[in-house]
Amino acid sequence: MATTAPARRLPAPPPADPGPRAPRATLRQRLARWDVRLSPYLYVAPFFLVFAVAGLFPIVYTAYVSVHDWHLIGGQGEFVGLQNFVDVLQQPRFRTALRNTFSIFLLSSVPQVAMAIALAAVLDANLRAKTFWRMGVLLPYVVAPVAVSLIFSKMFADQSGLINALLAGVGVEPIRWHSDVLASHVAIASMVNFRWTGYNTLIALAAMQAVPRELYEAAVIDGAGRLRQFFSITVPMLRPTIIFIVITSTIGGLQIFDEPRMFDQMGLGGADRQWMTLTMYLYELGWGAQKSFGRASAVAWLLFLIIVLIGLVNFALTRRIASSGGKGGQR
Amino acid sequence: MRTRRSVPVVAGAAGIALLAAACGTSGADTGGEAAASGDGEGGDVTLTVATFNEFGYEELIEEYMDANPGVTVEHKKAATSNEARDNMNTRLAAGSGLADIEAIEVDWLPELMQYSDKFVDLADPAVEGRWLDWKVEQATTPDGALIGYGTDIGPVSVCYRSDLFAAAGLPTDRAEVAALLEGDWDTYFEVGRQFAASSDVPWFDSAQATYQGMINQVANAYEESDGTPIPLAENAEVKDLYDQVVAAGVDDGLSAHLEQWSEDWVNAFQNDGFATMLCPGWMLGVIEGNAAGVEGWDIADVYPGGGGNWGGSFLTVPAQGEHPEEAKALAQWLTAPEQQLKAFEAKGTFPSQVEALESEELRGQTNEFFNDAPVGEILANRAEAVEVTPFKGPNYFAIHQTVSDAITRADVGSDDAASSWEKALAAFDELGLG
Amino acid sequence: MSAPSVPMIRQTAGRGAARAAARRRGTGGVNRRPGWVTYAVLTVVLLISAYPIYYAVLLASSDAATIAQNPVPSLIPGENLLANLRRVVESDIKFWPALVNSIIVSTVTALSVVVFATLAGYSFAKLRFRGRGPLLVFVVATMAVPTQLGIVPLFIVMSKLGWVGQLQAVIVPGMVTAFGVFWMTQYLQEALPYELIEAARVDGCSMIRTFWHVALPAARPAAAMLALFTFVGSWTNFFWPFVVLGAANPTLPVAIQLLQASYFKDYSLILAGVVASTLPLVLVFVVAGRHLVTGIMQGAVKG
Repeated sequence: MATTAPARRLPAPPPADPGPRAPRATLRQRLARWDVRLSPYLYVAPFFLVFAVAGLFPIVYTAYVSVHDWHLIGGQGEFVGLQNFVDVLQQPRFRTALRNTFSIFLLSSVPQVAMAIALAAVLDANLRAKTFWRMGVLLPYVVAPVAVSLIFSKMFADQSGLINALLAGVGVEPIRWHSDVLASHVAIASMVNFRWTGYNTLIALAAMQAVPRELYEAAVIDGAGRLRQFFSITVPMLRPTIIFIVITSTIGGLQIFDEPRMFDQMGLGGADRQWMTLTMYLYELGWGAQKSFGRASAVAWLLFLIIVLIGLVNFALTRRIASSGGKGGQR
Repeated sequence: MRTRRSVPVVAGAAGIALLAAACGTSGADTGGEAAASGDGEGGDVTLTVATFNEFGYEELIEEYMDANPGVTVEHKKAATSNEARDNMNTRLAAGSGLADIEAIEVDWLPELMQYSDKFVDLADPAVEGRWLDWKVEQATTPDGALIGYGTDIGPVSVCYRSDLFAAAGLPTDRAEVAALLEGDWDTYFEVGRQFAASSDVPWFDSAQATYQGMINQVANAYEESDGTPIPLAENAEVKDLYDQVVAAGVDDGLSAHLEQWSEDWVNAFQNDGFATMLCPGWMLGVIEGNAAGVEGWDIADVYPGGGGNWGGSFLTVPAQGEHPEEAKALAQWLTAPEQQLKAFEAKGTFPSQVEALESEELRGQTNEFFNDAPVGEILANRAEAVEVTPFKGPNYFAIHQTVSDAITRADVGSDDAASSWEKALAAFDELGLG
Repeated sequence: MSAPSVPMIRQTAGRGAARAAARRRGTGGVNRRPGWVTYAVLTVVLLISAYPIYYAVLLASSDAATIAQNPVPSLIPGENLLANLRRVVESDIKFWPALVNSIIVSTVTALSVVVFATLAGYSFAKLRFRGRGPLLVFVVATMAVPTQLGIVPLFIVMSKLGWVGQLQAVIVPGMVTAFGVFWMTQYLQEALPYELIEAARVDGCSMIRTFWHVALPAARPAAAMLALFTFVGSWTNFFWPFVVLGAANPTLPVAIQLLQASYFKDYSLILAGVVASTLPLVLVFVVAGRHLVTGIMQGAVKG
């Protein structure tokens, strides 16, 4: 296929070229042919090289480690097959970590997507000083997660924090942001939402601006109100975008580490591991008490499988929706 | 078998072999090479020293460089000992990247003792008898290698707010307070109950921190002396301490329900958060910093149950370094009594060196913030009162974490004592030590 | 290609912008200026997104005791901001070297991501070669690889290269990202007509010259955006730089968290560090953010 590429797609050969199989191609022509053949590979090569070193090797090595008894410092022990996976799956903390990860993930992605779309709808209006508003919502994105954590963990302090002080001002009992399971998830999710909502808003906005105005005009003629327009036109047209946002936040959300790790100074996820995520669990297995690099690697692979699984589900959903609902928006 | 698969001698690679094709280390013995380059005029040696929190080394390092023109010393500080520990483990695992001198804390020393071959044996006639015996013991492997030079120790006393004591009708003078608290932990909690009867302020900061002080007096807290872990479910001594501290802290309400080092804990110093706390020598600086502007802090020459040691660190020389000899020399110098005294003056890290402990300089030291208390004298007395050297084996850190978490859950969280203990047992089982 | 929805966003964003331009000329009732409620809502949103940053400034301009005594900071900054910033700069966290490191790492990473991702994206979008489809699927799949998990193996690689503690240990693994490749592929598929490539080839351009003269200019809006996002991403990255660089040769996030290193926590100092490390990025954002936002919005128009 590469040798007889359809002419329509391939850049046309130089005008004087008598044909690809010319018996006496000049050096220049031969070079040009190699250029055409090899360049595509050359252009994608850097990605694969970097990935081989920074992504593939670690993950393969991790797979190898995961079927061994392997101490972080002591190094390789015996081959133990799937024992590490069995051990991990039997530990109650694995389930705690799984619960927390999904809880934080849902608490951050669901409101985030909802807020992003609502905000995008507001920004989609014919505003004055558009760019100002758009930049405004993107502003939190430039604050590093480390900084966000430092700021928010101060605001969410149980006894001395800003949030509880404000709540007390309106007569609400202080919320135990650190010791309460759900409250701690909300606090961490709020850091994620703070930083990422604006980013997703702009992506949603870009898609929203692409919705054909004729649809709205037709709806106006049919007497649909603004809310009706939003739910009957905007949201369905945005489904592919929503799913894109969901996919990217899934990949990131399931690996969440920086924010929960820095939510307190111990970095373990609380005394009851009430906000320990899977990545933190993995880190604790490998670097913490057990120093079992084997088990940590098993968790790495389990996490990987979970992400792939959810990715596939998303992918399937995307295809379905893209082939049905998305059509109208395209052309 | 314990050696890593293939990681070839990366030791020398870090600094030299960057761009060269392979990392085919210059097979030469790095020690000799370093010594040789140390002699030549252009061949300066650069040593890195990695510490955490405050070791008080800033000026000392300047001083060392002035005295040794061929040596450049770089000082790296980690934010917390937890981070230092993670970082160190990563680099130990990878076989390179460690500093020439790495500071380690006594609580994670035992787990490193298993890998003593990754550290230079620092035993040396020159330093014999320099430290308190138990300090040396902690860093000595079963076959006699010394993997760390002691820096500081943490003799514990009780720090208290004399103004809050006065308001509650308790004595305020430090000698009287010492007399009042003289006794065991029951006494300490009993006085707390008296205090609580006429004050709204909690007696101590944190149940977990208090437990830390209690467990440091137990000879075999979690492991037998041969390193065998004691099953937590059968560990009556730990369970008793757990019950005692939770009963006092939670049931009697003596605890401020703070987690040590948390934002709330830090803020509590400014807001009359609690009346007393256990204070190892290195804690004085913490209190002074956090409670800046607060009047009334004092320190009593007393400790429940006699004496106790909390924390303290060592300097190690990882074997992967390029200049083990020079690093050893620097570590030896930094941990010499004279230097440790200066560090104590700078940051309050209390010396573990016999000579420093006996010096007039130390004994005469007072602390303005603590109402001009003779802190040198008090801490030296507290150090002498230490009777038990707790055995801390390779699993100390891990098991201690499970119990600490349980206390924090009961104290700060919403768990009741019984269910929290059940969780600790489950967490212990997860460690898979049985 | 049955790739996810980005193509739709991209492809349609251009039209949307075009349409938005049409709208601006004013047609029909849907395009009237919104009422004050909209501005009020936006103002509230803006305040919420700006407050935490302002909160950091407030604390950074205060002092430790005041912060501890007042959970709710006064809305007017104190007088200590400059003094605290000076303390940050003069502390031993190596602020200036860290700033320089951050600038180097972020700039080099952003540039290289743009170049390599555009190259690969161009190749995937517009060139034909054996294995293109599977390779592209592979690229997308790699986004799911949890990179945090490979720290020790990656560290081993870096130490064998002798890169521990050196900036390239942070730069090289980030020189090209799956997201970037995917992003540029989707963009160029839409934005770059085959006719342009063919025209260049007819003119006798080599493949790389074609890329340079045709693909790269066409990719500019998306490239600018990718560059800025990569810049921000690498500026704010903490964990890997922390592990591989450590405190000796830190980037800004690694350096500022060292402000907690001392025995007691002075929140005015810590948050001054937060402010100092965020400020450069805010400046970049103020200067370049407008282009970024219009970049997102205009999408493919340039094609």
